[in-house]
Amino acid sequence: MDIFLQQLVNGLTIGSMFALIALGYTMVYGVMKLINFAHGDLVAGSAFVGLFVFTQLLGGQVSVLVVVGVFILTIITIALLGFTIERLAYRPLRSAPRLSAVVSALGASMVIQNGIMLLWGPQMHIFPELLPTIIWDIGGVVVSLIQVLIMALSMILMVGLYLFVEKTKIGTAIRASAIDQDAARLMGINVNNIIVTIFLIGSSLGAVGGLFIGLYYRGITFNMGWQYGLYAFVAAIIGGIGNIPGAMLGGILLGLFNAFIAGYISSTWADAFTFILLIVILIVRPTGILGERVAEKV
Amino acid sequence: MLQSKALVLSLVASVFLVTPVFAAETLKVGVQAPITGAYANEGQGIDQSVRLLAEQINAKGGVMGRQIEVISCDDEGTAMKAAICAKDLVNKGVSMVIGSYTSTCAEAAQTTYFRAGVLQTSDGTSDTLTEHGYWTFFRNSFPNSAEATFAADYMVKVKKYQRIAILSDFSSYADGLATAVADSVKGLGGNIVSREKVKAGSQNFTPVLTQIKSKNPDVIFYAGYYSDGGLIRSQQKGLGITADFIGGDANDNVDFLKLAGNAAAGTYIINVPSPEILPYDLAKDFLKAYKAKYNMMPPSIWTILNVDGMRAFIHAMETNKSFDTKKAADYLHTLKDYPGITGPISFAPDGNRVGSGYMAYEIQQDGSYKIVHK
Repeated sequence: MDIFLQQLVNGLTIGSMFALIALGYTMVYGVMKLINFAHGDLVAGSAFVGLFVFTQLLGGQVSVLVVVGVFILTIITIALLGFTIERLAYRPLRSAPRLSAVVSALGASMVIQNGIMLLWGPQMHIFPELLPTIIWDIGGVVVSLIQVLIMALSMILMVGLYLFVEKTKIGTAIRASAIDQDAARLMGINVNNIIVTIFLIGSSLGAVGGLFIGLYYRGITFNMGWQYGLYAFVAAIIGGIGNIPGAMLGGILLGLFNAFIAGYISSTWADAFTFILLIVILIVRPTGILGERVAEKV
Repeated sequence: MLQSKALVLSLVASVFLVTPVFAAETLKVGVQAPITGAYANEGQGIDQSVRLLAEQINAKGGVMGRQIEVISCDDEGTAMKAAICAKDLVNKGVSMVIGSYTSTCAEAAQTTYFRAGVLQTSDGTSDTLTEHGYWTFFRNSFPNSAEATFAADYMVKVKKYQRIAILSDFSSYADGLATAVADSVKGLGGNIVSREKVKAGSQNFTPVLTQIKSKNPDVIFYAGYYSDGGLIRSQQKGLGITADFIGGDANDNVDFLKLAGNAAAGTYIINVPSPEILPYDLAKDFLKAYKAKYNMMPPSIWTILNVDGMRAFIHAMETNKSFDTKKAADYLHTLKDYPGITGPISFAPDGNRVGSGYMAYEIQQDGSYKIVHK
């Protein structure tokens, strides 16, 4: 039983990270019907920016204030980067065929990935231990400080985002733009501003995800964005792409699924089963678990 | 007008004067190494040290009058890129190739070098590398089977572990080492409670470690590379698993310490001696030159082993007074005790380096190594 609970904790930790990153994909897709391939690379970039901020700007001495500073400065940088990508790579193609935008997204991904490589070099960088290694043993189930932090902060951010989208005026505008951009425009919503908003929010959440990866796994490489991007993308699809609670659910489910397959069957098969799950979901429920049925206009 | 004519003439003249220098024949040495990717610091180490050695030889007049020209190819640590590199280096006319770091990449490129008659030396420890019967291949390290015997003896006889867990990734080196260790442990009557595999680079090892924890081992032997080993050690501690951790040779890298962080101290690593503790003058001189040129120490012993492979190749050519690779290989297959940076170099007829000098180290609080068994 304690093994089961331990795997649950493992799965929830990694699942929270997937969920945070998946939100970036799903929000952009929801409004723009665009798969933002550059999102995974923004996540990787966030880990590198975090490392730079910590070692170069804040002096490399660990304290609570410094850790908070690393988070804030990194989030701002990555949000601005997301904003820039939207301006340079997506906005000029707003009225172009969708395929052009997808190609542009792939291009943006390459630019960021290679940009990281040029700035920091191709070798693995090591994130410093910003948090003390504290572990609690609760009846055989071991939870570490960093795991608690990842789960708690992810939960707070996700609930916050959900409330923001459901309860505020801007949130309503986001939902309206997701349903129909033209109609939203007719209602006096500035869709361009809404798109900028979702890029800022999505990139910020991705930045937190990237920092978590740095803090938890410590080894960061310029091309790791692809791997996390892929998992988060799968999570977004499982939950129903375009659906915000769906991305959260998809991320958590994917993390748990991965942990249990790796723990009970074999880690050899974890990836294979993940993608089998994706295929099954696409066959049985093409819109994902929480995905809405889209009425096709005839 | 006259001036411009003179300028043209002088330009033409300079081209003619300079060309012969470019056309002088060089000895082309290929480097196939993971210069980018997860094992980048090892790849860069090999590339840098080969260039350093070439520089040293060139300064002394080259090899029988020919300057060494180093051509590098980045295999990124993947078999696919390794095969491309092999073709590329052969097309560029290299007569020897140094590398690659991983057994997988060395093996993927082997056949191409063999067919082209290009000498190849790699630190890859996978036993299969020397099992193809290619006369072109020379291993500059010692094979997995030798390490497995040492590791099994250390775990079963010296440390007297009762419950041994063995973990590896899927690469040709790691899986081969783990299997060899498992066989040797069984041969000594040891008890293996778990034999698991992880995907290199997947970063999240907690599910596998939790699985291993349920088997309650008193030691985890990890065969695989430092980029995963450091994380596994760190996550092992994070899960409160108190078992000892023994890393196979490829965990011997400065990045292992950084990745494992606080969990590094108390870890055991089994490998041939690390560069700093090599007693030979050749080693001290080379490390000094490396430090002077690159302002850092080589990332691990693997860098230096590859340099020794190259030194043996050049020694063979100079002894034969010929650049013929077949003749050099014939000479190398009977080479005995040629002084190397990593100790005397002798090759067996199958291209294996003869000898074995494995040691067990314990990592100390300050990150230094302490020899605990040899």
